[in-house]
Amino acid sequence: MESANELLTILPLIIIGAAGLFVMMLDAFTGSARLAYLATILFSAAALAVAVSDLFGPMGESFHGLITYGGTSSFGMVLVMTGTLFSVILSRDYLEKTGMHIAEVYSMILFAAFGMLLLVSSNNLVTLFLGIETMSISLYVLAGLVKNHKKSVEAALKYFLLGAFATGFLLYGIALLYGASGSTFLVDIAATEDKGMIYWAGVGLLLVGFFFKISAVPFHMWTPDVYQGAPTTITAFMATASKAAAFVAFILVLSRALPDARADWSDVIWLFALLTMVVGNILALVQDNVKRMLAYSSIAHAGYIMIGLAAGTDAAYSAVLFYLFAYTLMNIGAFGIVAYYEWHKGYDFTEVSNYSGLGFKQPIMGVLMSVFLFSMVGIPPFAGFIGKYRVFAAAVDEGLISLVIVGVLASAASVYYYLRVLVHLFMKESENGIVLSRPGTLYTASLLILAALTIFFGINPGVLTDLLGSFWTVQY
Amino acid sequence: MMEMDWYLGLSAVLFTIGVIGVLTRKNAIVIFMCAELMLNSVNLTLVSFSAQLGDVHGQILVFFALCVAAAEAAVGLAIIIAIYRNNLTVDVTKINLLRW
Amino acid sequence: MDLFAVAFYVFAILIIGSAAIMVFSRNIVHSAFALMFTLAGVAVFYALLYAGFVAVTQLLVYVGGILVLILFGVMLTTRGYFEKVRTRTVNLVPSTIFAAIIGLMLIAVYVTTEWTLMPLEDGEVTLTGLGELLLTDFMLPFQVAGVLLLLCIIGAVLMAARTRHPHPPAGKSSQEGPGGPSYGEGTGRS
Repeated sequence: MESANELLTILPLIIIGAAGLFVMMLDAFTGSARLAYLATILFSAAALAVAVSDLFGPMGESFHGLITYGGTSSFGMVLVMTGTLFSVILSRDYLEKTGMHIAEVYSMILFAAFGMLLLVSSNNLVTLFLGIETMSISLYVLAGLVKNHKKSVEAALKYFLLGAFATGFLLYGIALLYGASGSTFLVDIAATEDKGMIYWAGVGLLLVGFFFKISAVPFHMWTPDVYQGAPTTITAFMATASKAAAFVAFILVLSRALPDARADWSDVIWLFALLTMVVGNILALVQDNVKRMLAYSSIAHAGYIMIGLAAGTDAAYSAVLFYLFAYTLMNIGAFGIVAYYEWHKGYDFTEVSNYSGLGFKQPIMGVLMSVFLFSMVGIPPFAGFIGKYRVFAAAVDEGLISLVIVGVLASAASVYYYLRVLVHLFMKESENGIVLSRPGTLYTASLLILAALTIFFGINPGVLTDLLGSFWTVQY
Repeated sequence: MMEMDWYLGLSAVLFTIGVIGVLTRKNAIVIFMCAELMLNSVNLTLVSFSAQLGDVHGQILVFFALCVAAAEAAVGLAIIIAIYRNNLTVDVTKINLLRW
Repeated sequence: MDLFAVAFYVFAILIIGSAAIMVFSRNIVHSAFALMFTLAGVAVFYALLYAGFVAVTQLLVYVGGILVLILFGVMLTTRGYFEKVRTRTVNLVPSTIFAAIIGLMLIAVYVTTEWTLMPLEDGEVTLTGLGELLLTDFMLPFQVAGVLLLLCIIGAVLMAARTRHPHPPAGKSSQEGPGGPSYGEGTGRS
């Protein structure tokens, strides 16, 4: 029987689950999107606070070994809740201005976050599978939120069909691993002695399922379509929280269930990391649509992160976690600013040329966009640089020199498409006489906080890196 | 009692048929049906392993997989209906606003 | 040849045949009915593997639930005559080759693996054991499954209900339209 202490180990999960149910009832009885928004903010902030305090707490397993808490899982929860909280704050203004503000959005976001929290704390393939599916099913709905917009519903359909297809592979992988090891617990799978063909087939199919969720090439086809079609702040949520959750779960599986087989899967991930970086960057280079460009850039970032997974050392994992944090901050920021421009009705903000001359009209947004984009490029004073540097350094230590060289070249190429947006923002003349409205105080404030965090962890990464490094000194 | 690899082979065949269906069909509902077939074949694999190992955990996983399949079916068909309302077709090759 | 083997071969042919019909039939209603035979056939295999509970659940959830949903989906997404409910196939050759490679690899894996067959007794996995495990060790996933089913109801209603017009920009927040869904059926939480 679970004692109260065990429940405390998954407190953020419980808070968010309860919040989802509460917001749903609030919606049913009052129908007020504003109340739902406030409740969502409060619960998310509470869950984030608990997750942050858990970072410094003990690590272990609970619920008969189904759940792992503390350390990596807590950090995963922090990532997820950061993504959720900021997406919710940004969502409200955006959805209100574009006339899609309905209260169900918040309960769906909370349920998606619930799935992600379960995913990052799963120590068993059953909870892993349920977490991934709870997350995905909520995201299918969120992608198609604006159901009278053809693009939005189309995004939902593509996401759903490809997601259901990938679920088949993931579940097959889980089934074969279960057959090979006789257990669904990650530690028992690690202890499998007889690594027959079944084991390897299971590992391969499981990797395919994960590659789909982290949108590695060639399983990335859904990403640009879904990111473009979904409402922009929802895209921010998908691009950050769900990506981060999938990566943290991937780390958990690789480090706990398959540590002995590292030499084998490392080569596979090496190959896919290479493909992902190259293809993601090349396709981003030829993009004119800003949201699709950001989508391909997130694929490229997944490629850089996979370098760290391919290295597979403790240092590499902690570098990946840092990268994920930086990635979350800067991506929400960038999508948030795109959302800000998009809410001006009657103007088209799909192409990069539509952004001409906007930088000086509302300088704060222009400056913030530069911060986030420079961080994505990986230029020194920002967190993105530290993340990239640490991942590459960990990979070099493991002798993946050629992969790192490709990574460095790819990020050099990425300068072009990021700076292109800035060139249009600041150095071109405006085409249409658009008058930008003032963003809300909370909206600006949350973007400022994101930018400040990006700069703070860029200048002062030691605070976080020491903490992340300490997770891996404890053996499970 | 048949040998275990017959059951597993059968589920592999079903899985393959499902994969072929997802890749070749153009109607969103049929694609979805094929994805359900894939999940079903995996469930058969799980139950076979569970029987072979004499272990109940496989059946528990099947139970949750069934839950997930049901949830996916409800949401997926709702999405397909929403697509039909917007486009008056469920042919995935004709639903292509999002390109490049 | 014992009864098990006979049942195995008969139902194997049945489900593979009906699965093939489902995939290649041009009439979507035929596909849906072929799927019913496949799903019911798989339930028979569960029973052959002494997984009675799963077999019954399969019949209830898949044949009784999902299949009906699919038929509703077919009904709601076609205009009038069933004769028009035809679908085409694309990239038949490359996808078949791809899928066949996957399938052959899996089968090769199974055939080459040495199975340590356990003598299987009827009722080794009892319904009681399953239920107890679900409510003790697997309590947490069980609850999550409840939340999952609840959210899928909300999601389905959100997607399938006709568009409710949210309040205009900068308007009042009240937006529950007359046709708004009611969430009274929130019984997913076990």
